[in-house]
Amino acid sequence: MSATVAGTRSTTQHILFVLRGNPVTAIAATLVTLLVVIAILAPWLAPYDPIASDVPSALQPPSAAHWAGTDQLGRDIFSRILLAARLDLFIAVSAVGLSFVVGAVVGGFCGYRGGRLDRWVGRIVDVLMAFPLFVLAMALVAALGNRMENIIIATAVINLPFYTRFARAEVNVRRNSGWVEAARACGESHMMVVLRFLLPNVLPAMAVQISLNLGWAILNAAGLSFIGLGVQAPTPEWGIMVAEGARFITTGKWWLVAFPGLALMLTVLGFNLLGDGLRDILDPRMRT
Amino acid sequence: MKTFLAILRRVGRRLLFSLPALLGVVVVTFVLMRVLPGDPAVFFAAGPSAGKAEIDELRHQMGLDKPMPVQLVRYLGDVATGNLGRSLTTGQPVVADMRARLPASLELTCTALVIALFLSIPLGVAAALRPGSPIDHGVRMLCTLGVCVPTFVSGLLLIYVFYYLLGWAPDPTARIDIFASTPPDITGFYLIDFALTGDWQGWWAAFTQLLLPAFTMALFVLAPLARMTRASMLAVLGSDFIRTANALGLKPLRIVVAYALRNALLPVLTITGIVFSTMLGANVLVEKVFSWPGVASYALDALLASDYAPVQAFVLLMATIFVLVNVLIDILYGVADPRVSVE
Amino acid sequence: MNIPRRAVFHLATGATLAGILPVDARAQSRAETLRYVTGANINTLDPCVPGTTRESFGLSMNVYDRLFAFGRKQVNGNWVFDSSVIRGELAQSYEMSADKLTITIHLRPDATWQDGSPVTAEDIKWSLDRAVSAKSLAPPQFSTGSLTSPDQFRIVDAKTLTVSLTKPDRLALANLCVPYAIMINSKLAKQHATADDPWALEWTKTNTAASGAYIVESYKPGESVILRRNEAWKGGANGKLPFFRRIILQTVPEAATRANLIERGDADLSIDLAASDIPTMEKSAKAKVISVPQTNGFTHISMNTQVAPFDNPKVRQAIGAALPYENMFQASLFGRGRRLYDASWTGSPPNIDFPQPMPLKTDPARAKQLLAEAGLPNGFKTSFAFSTGAAATAEPVAALVKEALGKVGIDVDIQKKPDAEFNTMEAEKKLPFFIDAGTAWLPATYYYFYLYFTRDQRWNFASWKNTRIEELAALARFETDPAKYEAECKEMIEIFADQQPLLMVWQPNHDAVMAKSVDGYTYQFYRQADFRDLVRA
Repeated sequence: MSATVAGTRSTTQHILFVLRGNPVTAIAATLVTLLVVIAILAPWLAPYDPIASDVPSALQPPSAAHWAGTDQLGRDIFSRILLAARLDLFIAVSAVGLSFVVGAVVGGFCGYRGGRLDRWVGRIVDVLMAFPLFVLAMALVAALGNRMENIIIATAVINLPFYTRFARAEVNVRRNSGWVEAARACGESHMMVVLRFLLPNVLPAMAVQISLNLGWAILNAAGLSFIGLGVQAPTPEWGIMVAEGARFITTGKWWLVAFPGLALMLTVLGFNLLGDGLRDILDPRMRT
Repeated sequence: MKTFLAILRRVGRRLLFSLPALLGVVVVTFVLMRVLPGDPAVFFAAGPSAGKAEIDELRHQMGLDKPMPVQLVRYLGDVATGNLGRSLTTGQPVVADMRARLPASLELTCTALVIALFLSIPLGVAAALRPGSPIDHGVRMLCTLGVCVPTFVSGLLLIYVFYYLLGWAPDPTARIDIFASTPPDITGFYLIDFALTGDWQGWWAAFTQLLLPAFTMALFVLAPLARMTRASMLAVLGSDFIRTANALGLKPLRIVVAYALRNALLPVLTITGIVFSTMLGANVLVEKVFSWPGVASYALDALLASDYAPVQAFVLLMATIFVLVNVLIDILYGVADPRVSVE
Repeated sequence: MNIPRRAVFHLATGATLAGILPVDARAQSRAETLRYVTGANINTLDPCVPGTTRESFGLSMNVYDRLFAFGRKQVNGNWVFDSSVIRGELAQSYEMSADKLTITIHLRPDATWQDGSPVTAEDIKWSLDRAVSAKSLAPPQFSTGSLTSPDQFRIVDAKTLTVSLTKPDRLALANLCVPYAIMINSKLAKQHATADDPWALEWTKTNTAASGAYIVESYKPGESVILRRNEAWKGGANGKLPFFRRIILQTVPEAATRANLIERGDADLSIDLAASDIPTMEKSAKAKVISVPQTNGFTHISMNTQVAPFDNPKVRQAIGAALPYENMFQASLFGRGRRLYDASWTGSPPNIDFPQPMPLKTDPARAKQLLAEAGLPNGFKTSFAFSTGAAATAEPVAALVKEALGKVGIDVDIQKKPDAEFNTMEAEKKLPFFIDAGTAWLPATYYYFYLYFTRDQRWNFASWKNTRIEELAALARFETDPAKYEAECKEMIEIFADQQPLLMVWQPNHDAVMAKSVDGYTYQFYRQADFRDLVRA
């Protein structure tokens, strides 16, 4: 009991220590927290209905009434950015979550068992890795139809090889270690050994990858939107807002691109820096 | 000689082992294209008076009236004999289109990679020498910012600023000003062809045309390269032989460049290979924004039009390049570090 | 950029002007060169092969001659094609028999192919035979002019032919003016014909056998085409050669980039800029904009009249009353076009022009009432589709349609589909409710109804079946009495306005943006630039 408490305290202290010594990570953590709060509270925070059009006041520059200006249909860009946080975060989290769960479990078992299963999965992963990934995502969305669930699936599929390989390699080096032998000697089933002992050990290392991937997943969805394979209008989504705004950049209407672009950038930045920060927190060499 | 043969054997085996993956790529792409909900025959028979009969005729011409397994077998046969089909969008054989467009993509990607390496290695080294310092954080921030702006946004902004507002960059269309002459087609790489023919004015024109798109791409890949350089430098700097060198009182610059960096470059090399093949496949958006006549934008147009052949060929090409790059890294590893077993 | 790019100007033949000619000669050649930038591809040199892009139609008009050409007229200071005037191109003159069943065509005595050989009646007969018999896009088009069999074309002598018709089709002559009616050097083409391909369709995709105003000097599919003026061309309206000696057509996918090129004076002409860029271009110091409503086209919101609930005219009328037309027009096109809604007539239309403004008015209360009368007081669920390629103009419309219909209880799910998927579903009649556009090459009222509102075929967007319309369209086609023709056309428009199978909403402007120095731009029925009319002032 006391050992657990001590452990918790030292972890908290360690996190605080890292945050103090690394202001960038602190900023990143704040950014991500802010983002999550915005995503949750968006409907109450947004000053306007993000979907309601007001064509007579279209394409207005930022003003006191519309902080980030209005778009082609006179919709309030600021409100749309807030609401979009929800959708973008949802897409990213579901896609990365999906590929993480599938990748970790499949990769974990392959690393643990080896043999024929491992070889076959390895081959499938090889095929996936050989694909130009963005083009694969494009083709998947085009084939399945550009709905949100398919964008999530496509993003998950192209992330899958990383997680599978990562989990496989990490489990593979640990499978013969003493404590795994011990667990097995205690009569734990293979399934239990992988799920309860091996994967949790791999988790911290994977957390870094997850954080980095969240940012990447958002960029991926934005790219799909840019080429017309994104979520359906009039749902606000950052990528689609940037893509729509790109048409107006040469006519000097910068706010259509700038604000959603900024939101996109800050979010991806938050996730990336947080990933780096996590790496520092988890890296045992930093701890000592 | 013995090592050379061993390397050769190793390369051969690697290539042989990658064949199933390539076959998998071909089959998956083929099936994926067939389940696209768009019917190319309908799309391309879109003349003002094309009716059912014209659509059926086109479908017959394209062999789409056959069952899918028959189409697949026929396609595999074609691929084996080097026939990748004909693009409906351009009306040309895909092989000819690819041959004309691949050098453009490769030139752009290589230039971007060179720019990225020139920026990221010094940045990574600087960060590694003072871990935790403002320099380190600054480098990290700078690189991360690069990854955070979608390439189509940074590309459009660069065009806006450097071409439209400032007028420093040439018009962002294609590989060379249309009023200038293209170099004789020797390698297809304009920079090399211009250099070979000694046309330095042309070389400069092609080079300036390359800069904006290459820079857009380079920004995006700074982070993995700099990060890997930093990590790998940190590991090397902490190792015994560097400590020894320090203890011996060698000049710090010499230690960093001659000993540490040289040993730290191997992992960077690996990541460079991966970055290269990802870039080649992922520069769709950059090519689109800069009207670059490369293979990726070609594949994108074909995909939206359900034009099967170019997409299939593009994916196959990218997969092949991916395999080749991996084998190349492997060889370089073997050459650079004899400890990497030939087996 | 300090490098004098113009100084490295080369002729595509390989001769370097920079070294040979003095500076003013170089400036001259730039002045006589037109650089045209487009977002589309030229995928074939023969406009008849399946899959031809609109850009390729435009190119073929400049490279090939046809027997006849439409005239042009000035409307509001802009040149527009005039299908009521038909002049000879390769033909010098023609006579129509009194019963309108025989057309006698006299070829220009001095016309030559681009390889120098003379144009003969044999070549023309071969070209016409090809147009009605090759497996290409031409036969279905020619059948709309009752041109269906090689037997209809007879050689009289080396420079004279006759075309005979079984019925006095009002569009027979007009069909000889469309892009598919190219006249081909048969001696040259036949050398490349094979047993499988007797009409040399494969060869003409990448080669030309033409007599037109411009000669293809280099052709890089999907990238660029370079044209050189044909100094021996005889087909001009007044026998004059076109002004520009060289034309460079270049594919530049991004609309914003094309706008930049024109704005900076690096390119001379583009006709497919984003609607949102046009107002800026109008203020530009270097560029000017010629905006002409696409009089032979229309943007429409279609409903599948064969499936519930759109099979009920009241539901279609309810949608017609619910849509916020003016807002849609402003958000989609920034008001750049001709409105086809808000007309004040009721019952019979004032004239037989088509498309003409329909009495469509935004009236949500009436929409609700119509829905209730249709037995759907609580509305229904449907989806509204548009293609990715049309997203710039269709996406704002879709958002407004969803919003407006939501207010009368109709729940709309927006579907943006890749172009090929959209076209396939549209052709297979699987879209219940969608926005698209149509253009008729031959703007005759009967032809619109025949093409867009009859028969089970892909251009009947709304899958509309109306026996009276079918009868009237068939009658009007061969009607020789103008008064009867007018009565038939008015009745068709009346039925259309009442039944609302689709809502014609507007004619977008055709916006040609060009350097200030370029003049003479003409809006053509195939909606592409005709380089033969252009001059640099």
